[in-house]
Amino acid sequence: MKRFDCMSVLARRLSDELVILSLGASVDEWYNAAPHMREASLFQQQLGCVTPQAFGLAAGLPHRRIVSLDTDGGMMFNLGILATIGNEQPKNLLIVVWDNECYQSIGGPPTHTASGRVDIAAIARGAGLTRAYTARTVEEFDTHCAEGLAAQEPYLIVAKVAGAVQPGIRRKHSDGREDKYIFVRHVERTEGTVIMGPSEHN
Amino acid sequence: MKPSAVDAVIRGLKKAGVSIVCYLPDSLFRELYPALDTDPDIRTIRVTNESEGAAICGGVFLSGKRAALVMENSGLRASVEPLARMGLGAGIPVVMLMSYRGELGENNWWAIPHGITMEPVLNALRIPYRIVTEEEKVERAIMDAFSWSYAAYYHSAVALGGSVVR
Repeated sequence: MKRFDCMSVLARRLSDELVILSLGASVDEWYNAAPHMREASLFQQQLGCVTPQAFGLAAGLPHRRIVSLDTDGGMMFNLGILATIGNEQPKNLLIVVWDNECYQSIGGPPTHTASGRVDIAAIARGAGLTRAYTARTVEEFDTHCAEGLAAQEPYLIVAKVAGAVQPGIRRKHSDGREDKYIFVRHVERTEGTVIMGPSEHN
Repeated sequence: MKPSAVDAVIRGLKKAGVSIVCYLPDSLFRELYPALDTDPDIRTIRVTNESEGAAICGGVFLSGKRAALVMENSGLRASVEPLARMGLGAGIPVVMLMSYRGELGENNWWAIPHGITMEPVLNALRIPYRIVTEEEKVERAIMDAFSWSYAAYYHSAVALGGSVVR
């Protein structure tokens, strides 16, 4: 199963959602697979930071569906967030874990899931996310996306994907700071709110 | 903490517009946490470590709500990685309120590292901070930290020590 194909089916289901995504090649793949979600997506550059930020966003905007596009390396970096989400039970958070069993962006050394013994969906269920599943085909993944985007409880999909990057994709040229402004202005516009307002003139 | 100091903290948070607090409990703020939990205007989120709490606060910032990360100053060390990435890499601010363990007067050996490392870690991250040891200055310090962080889009910190927490 290719990550880009999964992203393409997920992207077709998204319109008003907000997306926090992980670092590495998946960033460029997402911006190519979901160009209509460009302003509604924010990549984060740190392992272990993606799902916590998505949960913070979900806590602040409980009426809005939030999607976390995390990775096996990122989730393993900070498993505690699963326990926090298990206790908090946000109704508006879909977590996708792209599990390619390697640290792809640095050349592919194995993550802990490569052993075949470590099961992130099982860890999530043990942390209180009862709806946590592993998908191995694009059809399975798509079905879980439909259910996860409608769920009234946290929903987690571990997508077992190949370690290859989609060839021929355009690179994103913006940095974290520019992306934050784009994302914040999108949230402001769609929520009718002010996050980064004018200076005080005093 | 005395009830009046707890009230001062909560007053400051509310005047700063805070509606979400992430915390990992500690002993010096032990009276503060249940007061936050029961306050009808503040949602508390208990985290497994302060690093996770910092990242959640970053996400809350992106939503337009205001959050504070409340913790012992040892939590600062656990938070350094997301603070560096979010603050220096993207300009996503986190306002921290921490108890000052290890200041002069500390009588626990295990807390000495917290006092020795707090200011150097804050300085390494170029995070401005105020150490408050008088109750009447708590509210203003919290409001000032939020004013600064929402002008700079960078982290700030208030450390509560002295008679405020003992």
